[in-house]
Amino acid sequence: MSASAEPLPLDAGPTASAARGWPARAERLLVWVGERLNPILVKEARQSLKSKQFVLTFGLLLLCGWVWSFLGLAIFGPEASYTGKGSEMFMGYAAILAFPLLVIVPFWAFRSLASEQEDRTYELLSITALSPRQIVAGKLSSAGMQMLVYLSAISPCLAFTYMLRGIAFPSILMLLFYLSLGSLGLSLVGLLIGTLTSEKHWQVVLSVLLIVGLLWAFGVACSLCSWVIWGLDLPVSTAEFWEWNAGLVTGYVTYFALVFYAAVAQITFASDNRSTRLRIIMIIQHVGWVAWITWVLVAHEPESEILLILLTFLGLHWYVMGALMTGESPDLSPRVKRRLPQSFLGRVFLTWLNPGPGTGYLFAVCGASAGLVLVACIVFVHEAYGVGTLVQSWSPGDSERLLVFGVLVLAYLTAYLGIGLLLIRLLHRFGQVVMFLGVLIQILLVVAGCAVPAVVQTTMSPSYYSSGYSLLHISNPFWTLIHVGSDSTLPMDTSLLLVVLPFAALVVFLLNLPGVVREVRHVRIAKPERVAAEDAELAAVKAPPEPVRTSPWDVVEPGSEGVTG
Amino acid sequence: MADSHPLIELRGLHRYFGQTKAVDDVSFQVSRGQVFGYIGPNGAGKTTSMRVLATLDLPTAGDAFVDGFSVVDDPDRVRRRLGFMPDFFGTYADVNVREYLDFFARAYQLRGTKRTRAIGHVMEFTGLDVLADKPINGLSKGMKQRLCLGRALIHDPAVMVLDEPAAGLDPRARIEVRAMIRELANQGKAILISSHILTELAEICDLVGILERGRLVAVGSVEEIQRQGQSPQNVVEVRLLDGTITLADWLHQRSGVSQIQRDGQVVRFLHAGELEAEADLLKAMIEAGFRVAAFGSRRKSLEDVFMQVTKGLVQ
Repeated sequence: MSASAEPLPLDAGPTASAARGWPARAERLLVWVGERLNPILVKEARQSLKSKQFVLTFGLLLLCGWVWSFLGLAIFGPEASYTGKGSEMFMGYAAILAFPLLVIVPFWAFRSLASEQEDRTYELLSITALSPRQIVAGKLSSAGMQMLVYLSAISPCLAFTYMLRGIAFPSILMLLFYLSLGSLGLSLVGLLIGTLTSEKHWQVVLSVLLIVGLLWAFGVACSLCSWVIWGLDLPVSTAEFWEWNAGLVTGYVTYFALVFYAAVAQITFASDNRSTRLRIIMIIQHVGWVAWITWVLVAHEPESEILLILLTFLGLHWYVMGALMTGESPDLSPRVKRRLPQSFLGRVFLTWLNPGPGTGYLFAVCGASAGLVLVACIVFVHEAYGVGTLVQSWSPGDSERLLVFGVLVLAYLTAYLGIGLLLIRLLHRFGQVVMFLGVLIQILLVVAGCAVPAVVQTTMSPSYYSSGYSLLHISNPFWTLIHVGSDSTLPMDTSLLLVVLPFAALVVFLLNLPGVVREVRHVRIAKPERVAAEDAELAAVKAPPEPVRTSPWDVVEPGSEGVTG
Repeated sequence: MADSHPLIELRGLHRYFGQTKAVDDVSFQVSRGQVFGYIGPNGAGKTTSMRVLATLDLPTAGDAFVDGFSVVDDPDRVRRRLGFMPDFFGTYADVNVREYLDFFARAYQLRGTKRTRAIGHVMEFTGLDVLADKPINGLSKGMKQRLCLGRALIHDPAVMVLDEPAAGLDPRARIEVRAMIRELANQGKAILISSHILTELAEICDLVGILERGRLVAVGSVEEIQRQGQSPQNVVEVRLLDGTITLADWLHQRSGVSQIQRDGQVVRFLHAGELEAEADLLKAMIEAGFRVAAFGSRRKSLEDVFMQVTKGLVQ
């Protein structure tokens, strides 16, 4: 039963650890890093090196790079050396690189998880000590590793384009940076889609949809690339350029984290808490938005339309998040109940992070309300300082329009999510309602809110569009908001909308309150004895060793065995 | 603390799929060093309950415990203590034996020399050390089965759940797998094993549970199951020179005789009673004029018990 196998390449032998000098230190560092690498990354790196798919893609990428190098030089001829044809050459290389980065790598990430489910190796993986976060991170890092290999393969060609002139170094860096972000982001989306189902037929449907989406993303990336290379002179020396990029990266990072933990939640064991971490990320994301909106307002004095767009985006974001959260199960497992906040302050402030449709509803409404409060603050500051000092471009009615728009967004969100939640609770009485059904109900509600008045009006009058907006369409949030926000002067029926919609939202909110209260009443339960016993054992093992008396000056406390001085 | 509870415990376990009751109120316990044989026809609910125990599925009601930890509430703690060998291989392409075991050793957080030792130990135990660098796809079924057993053992779990570990293996491989399982039990592991080959289970199992349509219809040692609700029964075979029909009619009138079957010149039946009662029966048979050529009795095999307690119902 002794170890008869030869040591694995990464295992340091005693000779290695005894050796001195920087090579030995570097080796030990590499061993240390290798030991801590995600097991999935290690396995898939080994697999990739032997897999035909990787060899084929890598070979094709290199071949395409070479072919384009020779073809480009042949087309441009001798003038390539002095007329700055670097941009044309770069565009070709960018397209060659974008295809594996935006199509192959994300689709591989999707297939990697989907095939694990098909081959049922995922079951074996899921019962190891790897956490769902490690599984998703491992798959993502494998995708990242492939991306780096493809990037390094084409990098000599990109360096070549810079030498040809015609394209600035910052443009090359910027495009590669966003291409890499796009590749990682799409890989993560591929992973999330891979976690959605283990049914073969649904996987086929999803893979077709994903391929279509990835090809579309590839087309968009190529267009953006050509726009940046030929149509846009990147203002890299201006602060505004970097602020925009920082804002874009902030949005990317927060959505990346959200999608990452959504994928983690998808594969987390059913009795575990899948929601709290996502809600924390939503709060961080919201804080990030608030910071950026405030910065943009203070530093750049934007037009009021920008804030209208941001409000619309905020409303849509919280509606989607709310639709997902209201689809959660109202029952908390004993495992989740063990970690509920216990103190008074904890219960007041952290209960809303607990899983559950009621707390989720309130969380979404509070998130959207925070957006409205922010707009109200901006308007207040604007009014206090007066037009011409803070936001010069605003016309007199803009403040009022922004507030009305914000109130209506909040009212629609509260009403629709609340009605959806009431329906979901009704369905819970007849059986289990999965999250997908919950989201479907929410979407159908909005569709019905838009379609029913349209059908009614079409029945009454065949000229649907020419008849314009009327209060019949009050349930249509999109048309109503466009009606209110499209002009700087508010329409005549605004006051009626401001009465009916918030009142309806308030009624729906109050109808949902008992359900929310029921969820808030959950209290922490004690750990089972066996769990507490093991935790105590582990804590004892992790506790620092008893101090040892090493000198005559060490003082032993009376009644204790510890050394204190 | 660890010895005060069974290593495996199913407590009123239910698992329903719609109207189908795959597992219906199943309870049993397995202690350290015991091998529990799980028997039942296809679709009886063996794999479903094993999957619940392996934290791959959630019960509809009831709970299962591994070393005192609930599979519902503490799946992470259960997973550290449990090695599961499902009824499929679950192997990766483009990976050799050592890399495969290395991956799972890493996944169980084994590092450095600890991992190297664990891989070496498992390869030696399963006899895979000579195939360490061979791609998994090139392994025979028996070797793949050994590899899967090795994977389940890599983190030295206290509990092993083995779903049909000997299915499709040749006789030699079956004997070897059986020996490995017995060895693991001797090391103190609690083992839950399902198999269709009942004679094999009878040899290695300390306890047996018979499952039919999701319900545990009998549980205990083979002897205990045999004794359930009645006196011990032996299978008696009588070979006659002639008159098997008459003997069958004659046996119908005797007390303690049941399940009479005729097979050519042989009459086979269950007889409740000790050896003396069997001797009296033989004496009475000869006195009644039957020409007995051979008379033999044996204890009921696991197959006999299985056939006795199940009705062949499927769902």
